[in-house]
Amino acid sequence: MSGYSGSEPLGRTAALEGTTPSARSQAASASQSHRLRSGGLIDRQQPLQFSFDGKVMSGFAGDTLASALVANGVKLVARSFKYHRPRGIITAGSEEPSALVEMRSGARKEPNTRATTQELYDGLVAQSQNRWPSLRRDFMSINQLAAPIFVAGFYYKTFMWPAKFWEKVYEPLIRRAAGLGKSAELPDPDHYDKAWAHCDVLVIGGGAAGLAAALAAGRAGSRVILVEEDSRLGGRLLSDGGEIDGMHAEEWVRRTVDELASLANVRIMVRTALFGVYDGGVYAALERVNDHVPLPGPHQVRQRVWRIVAKRSVVTAGAIERPVVFPGNDRPGVMMASAVRTYVHRFAAMPGRKVALFTNNDDGWRTVEAVQQAGGDIAAVIDPRGKVPAEYQALAELSDLRVFSGGVSDVKGGVDGVRGVVVTDNNGRTQQIDADCLAVSGGWNPNVGLSCFHRGRPVWRDDIAAFVPGDSPKGMTTAGAANGEFSLGACLRDGHTAGAAAAAECGASGNAGEASEAGDEVYAISPLWQVKAKGKAFVDFQHDVTASDVTLAQREGFESVEHLKRYTTLGMATDQGKTSNITGLAIMAEATGRTIPQTGTTIYRPPYAPVAIGALAGHHRDENFHAWRLTPSHHWAAARGAVFVDTGLWKRAQWYPQPGEKDWIESVTREVLAVRNGVGFCDVSTLGKVDVRGADAGTFLDRVYINAFSSLAVGKARYGLMLREDGIVMDDGTTSRIAEDHYFLTTTTAKAGPVMAHLEFCRQVLWPELDVQLSSASDQWAQFSIAGPNTRKLLQELVDPSEDMSNEGFPFMGAREVKLRGGVTARLFRISFSGEIAFEISVPARYGGAMAQNLMIAGRDLGVTPYGTEALGVMRIEKGHVAGPELNGTTTADDLGLGKMMSKKKDFIGRVMAGREALTAPDRQVVVGIKPLDQKRRLRSGAHVVPKGAIPGPETDQGYVTSVCYSPMMEQWIGLGLVERGRERFGEIVRIHDPLRSEDYEAEICNPVFYDPEGARQRG
Amino acid sequence: MVDYLWNTQSPLQKALVPGRHGAAGAHVGVTLNEVRDIVLVQVMARRGKAADAAKAAKKLFGIEAPATPKAVTGKTATLIWSGPDQFTVIAPRTDEASQLAAMVQVFAGSASLSDQSDGRCLIRVSGPRGRDAIAKFSSLDLHDLAFPVGAAANTSVDHTAVNLWREANGADGHPVYNMLVFTSFADSLWHTVVDSSLEYGVEAASARAA
Amino acid sequence: MRIACPFCGERENGEFTYLGDASPKRPNFAVDSGESPEGVEDAFYDYVYLRDNVAGYMREYWYHGGGCRSWLIAERNTVTHEFRSVTAAPGVGAAKPVQAGE
Repeated sequence: MSGYSGSEPLGRTAALEGTTPSARSQAASASQSHRLRSGGLIDRQQPLQFSFDGKVMSGFAGDTLASALVANGVKLVARSFKYHRPRGIITAGSEEPSALVEMRSGARKEPNTRATTQELYDGLVAQSQNRWPSLRRDFMSINQLAAPIFVAGFYYKTFMWPAKFWEKVYEPLIRRAAGLGKSAELPDPDHYDKAWAHCDVLVIGGGAAGLAAALAAGRAGSRVILVEEDSRLGGRLLSDGGEIDGMHAEEWVRRTVDELASLANVRIMVRTALFGVYDGGVYAALERVNDHVPLPGPHQVRQRVWRIVAKRSVVTAGAIERPVVFPGNDRPGVMMASAVRTYVHRFAAMPGRKVALFTNNDDGWRTVEAVQQAGGDIAAVIDPRGKVPAEYQALAELSDLRVFSGGVSDVKGGVDGVRGVVVTDNNGRTQQIDADCLAVSGGWNPNVGLSCFHRGRPVWRDDIAAFVPGDSPKGMTTAGAANGEFSLGACLRDGHTAGAAAAAECGASGNAGEASEAGDEVYAISPLWQVKAKGKAFVDFQHDVTASDVTLAQREGFESVEHLKRYTTLGMATDQGKTSNITGLAIMAEATGRTIPQTGTTIYRPPYAPVAIGALAGHHRDENFHAWRLTPSHHWAAARGAVFVDTGLWKRAQWYPQPGEKDWIESVTREVLAVRNGVGFCDVSTLGKVDVRGADAGTFLDRVYINAFSSLAVGKARYGLMLREDGIVMDDGTTSRIAEDHYFLTTTTAKAGPVMAHLEFCRQVLWPELDVQLSSASDQWAQFSIAGPNTRKLLQELVDPSEDMSNEGFPFMGAREVKLRGGVTARLFRISFSGEIAFEISVPARYGGAMAQNLMIAGRDLGVTPYGTEALGVMRIEKGHVAGPELNGTTTADDLGLGKMMSKKKDFIGRVMAGREALTAPDRQVVVGIKPLDQKRRLRSGAHVVPKGAIPGPETDQGYVTSVCYSPMMEQWIGLGLVERGRERFGEIVRIHDPLRSEDYEAEICNPVFYDPEGARQRG
Repeated sequence: MVDYLWNTQSPLQKALVPGRHGAAGAHVGVTLNEVRDIVLVQVMARRGKAADAAKAAKKLFGIEAPATPKAVTGKTATLIWSGPDQFTVIAPRTDEASQLAAMVQVFAGSASLSDQSDGRCLIRVSGPRGRDAIAKFSSLDLHDLAFPVGAAANTSVDHTAVNLWREANGADGHPVYNMLVFTSFADSLWHTVVDSSLEYGVEAASARAA
Repeated sequence: MRIACPFCGERENGEFTYLGDASPKRPNFAVDSGESPEGVEDAFYDYVYLRDNVAGYMREYWYHGGGCRSWLIAERNTVTHEFRSVTAAPGVGAAKPVQAGE
């Protein structure tokens, strides 16, 4: 027989950081007053020290924080959410609504951790939450006195008026009072990742049914993944024992796990909680890889999110024991009966010395034997059914049990927990019983959540007074207790059958073997949801929702379960109402005179259990937030000190600061002037590049561009504009004809992907008869724009002397291959974005760095200057070239001043719709130049354009500024804008209104081509 | 007159640091190699000419071009399925110009070619934990039954297109996977691959294709 | 969600992008005279804008851009997300359709 072991010496005393030797010795002596002398799945050779609220205690490997606290006689572990009532540990599993603690400290601090799932490790530090200054003396427990006002709908009723109080007064007040723990305010130093796994059969839950299912499916030869949120397989077998195939249940678990581990086609994943079921057999699970150790090892992650793709799944997630609602049911020391058995049997920790049992079903009676075998006393059994179940009659007589026919109507006690239980029998007589623990069983709810994630509605079963899964997601079956099969024998058979069937459906043909055998114990229940008596009786422990809140909601008209949930916040806490939802709706059913199935359940949604955002992000945080793309000259530019800017996924050189330059404008101005007066170059490899090949390539391009390309001569380039089918501009770029059946198309940087998808759509869907092949050549080429009056001089240095680089030999819009000195062949395009003589030169990407270096060498005597995207932008604005801010998904070709390009001789994408009345209206906003009258004034993008003298507003608004820059050539800020009838208004003074920056000034509308409007320079 | 040098660069010139990384210990879990100096050509059959293109491939490489997601290795090249009626030819770079010219000639009229020798970077993942590392960034099922030697897939990693195929097991008996990634993404994806492998211990290197 | 590409097999939906209803056909519009054919504007208006809001199976365009770059036509139940079939668009690969424009 076991007994308490308060004086049992600890094997070792590991050091806790920051604790004094005296604290450690104190811990050793005070520790584990409620630990049984033997038994339990704990390793007594491995004592572990931990601290809770600064008090150092000890436990053993195999403990959870909750079981270690139980072993140390700790009952008070938390303060409740609303009323700050003292709370204890209610369950022994992941459904725990009450024992939430703040784990760890500093940057690793994590609030709302369930003590019942947190494995103990040496040096664990946990704090209670939601209390000040201490757990025992919590100032905010004064809220209990004000309880009448904290009823359901309190926020809605109280913080209504005056409206202006909301933002400044009410919200900060509520936010300060709300929430349980406090999260860390430093970046999370841990790493997380995500991984994929694939299988035929996914078994969710490793209890008796899950082990049977996994074994059947594994033996049959299918690929099996078995996930279990606990650190150990076995489920309730670890707590309730039993006999299977003639052996002790724990021995059966050991053998079964050994066999599963020996099968190459079975993968066992413990500490892995399934939290989501998604379409097409995709499941999500959270593996707590290193939450059971002080810190993850080097290069280890803390948690990992698994996305599991399974052809079939078998949910063997068991059932959750439900509380009964009665006054004082939240006192520390009131615990689920199954949890009492778990602490006693699995953890050898005694929740109380005198245990009272309140049960309405046969299963609860198991607790009597468990407590007695551990050496505890059963103070009384309270069973409203008025009769000892047949199976337990001998035991009741033998141990002279006090059995009451009735219910618990109050629980006496304080912060230290239960001191007595008040019983009101079925005749209305009241009696108080001494007890320091009350074990409660209101029956079992099959864990239907996962089977309902696709809006399946659970089905009510009267015989077990509980919901079982209804329409499960495709490919999913449920077995065992999760399916309402509560006897061990039935669990094993059901699991085996489901596992074998799932494997067979996946084509596995092996022998699944025979189901293991065990007894079919009786589960008789007579539903009891609530004992009506005076006092606070809790339904949702985590959100402090009482039975009277539920009935109040009903009286105020919130009868639907979805309204009940939102009005009272029942089931909306981190536990998602695992222990409270069904009870809450049962009370609502009674209040409305409907049945429970008529009342129905709320919609179940993932995640089943809380998941850290860090785990969902995995690798994708900080610099890895998204993938990045580097240009071929990236490292060359970085070595020259370039400042980079993220443009989409690309990192592009924005400018190249020189010593002594005081700001970016100075750097950019220098770069622009160097180009306009000499020569410069810029990496433009980010442009999308598409090889368009095939006999019908020209016809194809005629149909996707508004202008003609079949007529383009080989060796020539042409600017092209594409529309969407609705007539709005999609993209622009230069396309060259390399050969009769080969065009080289370029897109803007931003639209490279979408344009490629669009072209493939045209090729594969719209015009499958055309012989066209497309391939992305974006990354094949390092492409540089070389611009400025000295461009030709520079190129003459670089290209082979045999190449004719004269204006006649290489005219404007020419495109052809050239040999470079040193033996590399390049493609050269005479096109200009800057308005200067300019070429774009392409070499295979492997020469990207060498090309930049060689351009510097070739242009050394010309003062060649690398320039970045800012200078590129300045020069395009000076030339009135449109870019992203103008190609913004609202503009037509004519809006951009490119209407004349639209061919009238052919069909092309968007042609018909571009002719619609609204898209050709004379008062459309079109691209214009804008320059402030005050030449010192900085123009800003986004500022509104209204007529001079008009009051800014929706009625007077005529457009806005799209792109701005400081123009070194105009020596003032200039911009492009979209302005109503803009082209008719050159010279008009308008009002520029910028409420965002509180600016208001006048500007002149002008020709968007500020610089060299005749275009002489680029053709020279 | 200046001599212009045309040094070549790898997109992994900064990202790939040769040697051991991550978990220390006697065992290397994941071996990562950049395979340099390859010729890579995308072959896309012309409209209605898939059979002719396959014939041409047979003529030039002596092997059947893959018509389903597979990688087929011949004496001079590996042909990797890269979409319906198209495949990628990959070969060690010897005489690039004549390698390309031979292809242009044999596929004339039956397929369009797109030289992608600089458009992709080839990363090889092997070692006892290579598959576990890949499971962190690829949604493919790489189980032996689902993805045997010679299997190929066009897939996505970090929302970026990747061609992945499995070649014959390494000398250590463990699977060897090849990943063709876009050149501009190579630096980024290399980091993803390395980060996914660190916990197993990484050996990184680059080598010429052979 | 998983989508069974007819070429690549079943893949996760992140590899695909969605375009929408595959039923509307682009009006064929060959221009010789410079004049719009009769009714062409109405036909394009229908093609671009008019869609049925189907609760149940509908034919949709999906692009396997993160895979084999094929445009696919899928029959998907908009209520349950179940796919009944996924087939290739007429011009995928080098296929030569019998008739122009499907």
